[in-house]
Amino acid sequence: MNVELRHISKFFGPVRANDDITVTFEAGKIHGLLGENGAGKSTLMKILSGFLRPDRGEIYLDGQRVTFRHPADALAQGVGMLHQDPMDFPAMTVLENFVAGSPGGLTVNRREARKALQELGEQFGFHLDPDAEVASLTVGERQQLEILRLLWLGARVLIFDEPTTGISAQQKERLFEALRRLAAEGRTIIFVTHKLYEVEELCHTATVLRQGKLMGRRTAPYDLDELVQLMFGRVLKMERKPPIPLGETIYRVENLVVEAPRVNIRGVYLEVRRGEVIGLAGMEGSGQRHLLQACAGLLRPSEGRIWFKGQDMTGRSYLDFYREGVTYLPATRMEEGLLPGMDITQHLLLSRPAQGFFLDNHWANGLAQEAISEFRIRGRPDTVAEALSGGNQQRLLLSMLRPKLDLIFMEHPTRGLDMESTLWVWEKLLERCRQGTAIFFMSSDLDEILNYSDRVLVFFGGQVSAPIPAEELDAESLGRLIGGYGFVPAEEALTQTTAP
Amino acid sequence: MKRYWMLVLLLLLVALGLTACKKATPTPTEAPAKAEEAAPVETEEPAKAPEETEEPTQAPEATEAPAPEEFVFGLLLVGPKDDRGWSQAHFEAGKMVEEKLGYKMVWLDNVNPAARPGITPDQLAMELVDKGAKVVIFNSDDMYDEALTFAQENPDIYVIHISGDHVWKEGKRYVEVPNLSNLMGRMEYGKMIAGCAAALTTKTGKLGYLGPLINDETRRLAASAYLGAKYCWQNYLGKDPADLKFKVTWIGFWFHIPGQTLDPTQVANEFFDNGYDVVISGIDTTEALVQAKAYREKGQEVWAVPYDYIHACEEAPEVCLGVPYFNWYPGYRQLIEAAAKDQWESVFLWLGPDWQDINNLETSSVGYLKGPGLSEEASAQVDKFIEELAGGLNLWVGPLKLQDGTVYLKEGEVATDVQIWYLPQLLEGMEGQSVAE
Amino acid sequence: MTERHGWMTTLAFRLAAVVFALLLTSAVLLMVGAPPLEAFRLILEGAFGSPRKIADIFVIWTPLLLTAAGLLFTFQAGLWNIGIEGQIILGAVFATWVLRIFQGTDTPPGVALTLAFVAAALGGMLWALLSGVLKVYGGVNEIFSGLGLDFVAVALVLYLVFGPWKRPGVGSMSGTEPFPRELWLPTLEGFRLSPWALGLAVVGWLVTMVLLLGTYYGLRLRAVGRNPRAAYLMMGLSSNRIILSAFALAGIFGGLAGAVQVTAVYHRLLPGISSGYGWLGLLIGMLVNFHPVWIGPVAWFFAMLNLGSIQLPIVLKVDSTLAGVLQGALVYSFLLGEGVRMKWLARRRRAGEAS
Repeated sequence: MNVELRHISKFFGPVRANDDITVTFEAGKIHGLLGENGAGKSTLMKILSGFLRPDRGEIYLDGQRVTFRHPADALAQGVGMLHQDPMDFPAMTVLENFVAGSPGGLTVNRREARKALQELGEQFGFHLDPDAEVASLTVGERQQLEILRLLWLGARVLIFDEPTTGISAQQKERLFEALRRLAAEGRTIIFVTHKLYEVEELCHTATVLRQGKLMGRRTAPYDLDELVQLMFGRVLKMERKPPIPLGETIYRVENLVVEAPRVNIRGVYLEVRRGEVIGLAGMEGSGQRHLLQACAGLLRPSEGRIWFKGQDMTGRSYLDFYREGVTYLPATRMEEGLLPGMDITQHLLLSRPAQGFFLDNHWANGLAQEAISEFRIRGRPDTVAEALSGGNQQRLLLSMLRPKLDLIFMEHPTRGLDMESTLWVWEKLLERCRQGTAIFFMSSDLDEILNYSDRVLVFFGGQVSAPIPAEELDAESLGRLIGGYGFVPAEEALTQTTAP
Repeated sequence: MKRYWMLVLLLLLVALGLTACKKATPTPTEAPAKAEEAAPVETEEPAKAPEETEEPTQAPEATEAPAPEEFVFGLLLVGPKDDRGWSQAHFEAGKMVEEKLGYKMVWLDNVNPAARPGITPDQLAMELVDKGAKVVIFNSDDMYDEALTFAQENPDIYVIHISGDHVWKEGKRYVEVPNLSNLMGRMEYGKMIAGCAAALTTKTGKLGYLGPLINDETRRLAASAYLGAKYCWQNYLGKDPADLKFKVTWIGFWFHIPGQTLDPTQVANEFFDNGYDVVISGIDTTEALVQAKAYREKGQEVWAVPYDYIHACEEAPEVCLGVPYFNWYPGYRQLIEAAAKDQWESVFLWLGPDWQDINNLETSSVGYLKGPGLSEEASAQVDKFIEELAGGLNLWVGPLKLQDGTVYLKEGEVATDVQIWYLPQLLEGMEGQSVAE
Repeated sequence: MTERHGWMTTLAFRLAAVVFALLLTSAVLLMVGAPPLEAFRLILEGAFGSPRKIADIFVIWTPLLLTAAGLLFTFQAGLWNIGIEGQIILGAVFATWVLRIFQGTDTPPGVALTLAFVAAALGGMLWALLSGVLKVYGGVNEIFSGLGLDFVAVALVLYLVFGPWKRPGVGSMSGTEPFPRELWLPTLEGFRLSPWALGLAVVGWLVTMVLLLGTYYGLRLRAVGRNPRAAYLMMGLSSNRIILSAFALAGIFGGLAGAVQVTAVYHRLLPGISSGYGWLGLLIGMLVNFHPVWIGPVAWFFAMLNLGSIQLPIVLKVDSTLAGVLQGALVYSFLLGEGVRMKWLARRRRAGEAS
């Protein structure tokens, strides 16, 4: 079945998740849908599978216009989607899940269903016990169950949203085999991913989205550099960080290990000097946030030691770091950084040392006015945080950083800001560097990483590389590393260098 | 926004429509009241008729200052006025006073801390005084302290406290308060009859007593029921008193307050589940009867004896052995008339049955109305027991021991009123708590 | 849109909510066959008909204000202090305990009463801290622990009233023996109102206002309540300590309210000693969006309703739980009004963006 999307647009408030996207997915092929997190891939696929309704645009199946009010509508027309997180009922058995959602409802013939499940499973080499509880299955097995279910329900267009996260290599092989087979049978397969090598290995076509827009469509064989460029764009014209004389070592980690689901960071050795900027690069969710938090005392590393300003800070909480002159600036401003319902003055009062017991309103007002003019916040002292635009929220956050800080951890310091603001933010940050502050930041903007970091840590698949001097990298090589090409985890690098 | 306005408009229209209808409805005539007067005393109508007569349409009258010749008395009821128990008995006595003596009643029910949080009975008594009441009746032991306080602080208002002993010169807590009187019925007789009926009916020989809270009054009433039961068991059935089980379970208050008292429904169930086939109720509400009916419908042969209110049996006649009830009218009449005619004296009234006819509502303060659940044979024996009592049979005669074995009455000793009123424990042979733990 | 404009729409919505609540109540009154205007008149008369009645409003207001003021601390810290009922009860228990110790001794009543209030504050605080500790160190949601502790508190009073503190020879939940007159909080001559209790409540209210509106502590409380993560990351605030302190303060106020109930209203301990003021306090807090100044008048309004509505059963013979219906209708209308207002504002904002 040919799938045609025409002029699809979807807005979430001011965010353009999909912006006039027109694309065709032909039957019998595997189509890669590439893009960073937040590029609009999932939104587009949710629209195609009936979970979301587009604000504008049409969907055509084999030339017939269709509208889906509900995922069941889409499924009835043969479009089924496997979500990143399996949407099954863990407390029920495999068979019960298999028949769930079938049009027959409760009157389904269980014997027939059991037979179908086993036959379908054998075809694809999926061995699922119909009576096992779904909760006891691995992510891969749950995925297999979902595929069989969709096939049983007659899906002819199958959408896979990041299906390779969290499954074993063997399961992945089996999955890819199944996908090729399904395509060969004439089904349309859409494979959503941000992993370049998977697209190269599996997909007949690659469609790239960035910031809600369609950037282009390519067919195999691919020019990887071109795909990288389509994914990340090259619009920024940032100045390279001017040379700032580095001071003494202020922060040191030794053999840090951070483990979490899908994260396995090992062998981090790092010495950071005053004025230095460390960039953490990687696809979102590759582990950089975990490391950043572990370094700030927000996450407890499983192993390793941390020194700050000569003190052993291993196992200390963020509050201890905070008191010593560290601040962690989160990316989600309203969720983690600002106080809804409280105004600019109150934010500033709270982020400065208390001046006694009672509030000095006059002094506070001056403080707010000062910050507003210095950080060019478009708001008044009594404007509440949520009434500010995203860029101004970021400015407020920056204005809340205490005047004297030794180390700042930042998640996406300029996400959502326009070029002018981005440059301005970095100007402010570099000013601090000149005064001896060290900065750790993570960003999915390659240019930002390349231009402002002294050294870069690259993350891929939950692992981290050894620090790489920024001048040894350019956008292409960094993009490849992020996509997994030539990526060497720090731990392996260590053993390689120490082996001989 | 338009739709919201439509909604509001609709509401307004409905409201207006209702007021219009209300005005169009004719005020009910006095007919029901008259019919009731004509009705014989023991029919069931009187119970219902008064409810119909109190119509909200009379309300505006009440807010106006009462006419000078109208004497107003106030009544504070601890429970709902239609509880088919204690409070309803008071309420209907008040209605009778209104109808027969022409005095006017102002009243308020549910006067207890659970139903009226933050507001105390003495405060509410004041509200009734504001409505013109010259006499205020506090109908519950639960208002023991507030009745006294109120009487002391308002010497120009006559106060009647039901079940109290403040102005009993022989009593343990005598206080001289000229404007306070106490009123109580000698329910001991009613309970003895109830106990007798229960003993004559039980097949298992196990009687349950669903008690309210524990105090002097409730102890002596439970004991009376036991004495009646034991007497009839022994003398009419010729059985050994040792074979008669009599168990008391207290719920903690006069009626159920969720979370604060035991649930009387559950207590009754427990009795029935454990072979107690007759439950005698000592609480203000009718759970025992209701549960007996429920068990009967499940096929278990059980009975109950409700309490307080003459028509209590009506809720489940087939399982009802009769009801020992209070008729507050004679006492009310005596005290309120005295107040109205400026002949008030502080008295302690403990009024008994009219042995000519214990069910004469004009004269008998305590009665027993037999229920359909009572067999013909037992009914005859109950009548015989009542006759014996009328003839001077006294069960409060020694030898009687208290629950802990100490002597309460020596051989041949007749209990005085003080001894009965302040019975310190349950009697020997009774199971259950005598005093709170 | 200017601030002033926003303020005026807020007022308009609030007024609309009141009107709506009156309509709703009128509908209910009509359903039970009572003339609404007469009912409202009676409520007003029942509350303002005489100086004694006006004083009685303040008798109810006093514990209610203390409770509501205490709840603001937990509200501001983003906590649902459902355990407030238990905190009032524990305050009452502690106050009773102290008074029982001093009753019949030569201790000056002033000393005994003062100690009773101190003990009550302590009792309420301890009970509240139980919830706080469970939340902070046990990860137990304060709603559940609060509900549980409320039950335990009632059970404790029942145990005391039926057990160690029972009236001689009596086993009734109607309470302990009343305290001798000298241990009653002194009242104004001829009134039930104690100026001491009233003064305490007003001072408590003022302290709350100052703490919440004028100090760093109040600001931090709000910060943790609004966004504990942001307070932690950007302001280095430990929400644990602030949560515990909020519980402690709420408990102190609740405990004091319990002491007022014992020494100035019931003069004894009974299971219903809290009079449900904890729940009412929560309602008031929600109604005024936890604003420290507004709780005063709103609590007073509720006290007035409570008192005035007694007239309904006396005169109109309708059940006085209708006062509860009126309160419910008010709260419902306010919440509805808030919802409508939010939607309306959002739509305006969207319209503003589009243009």
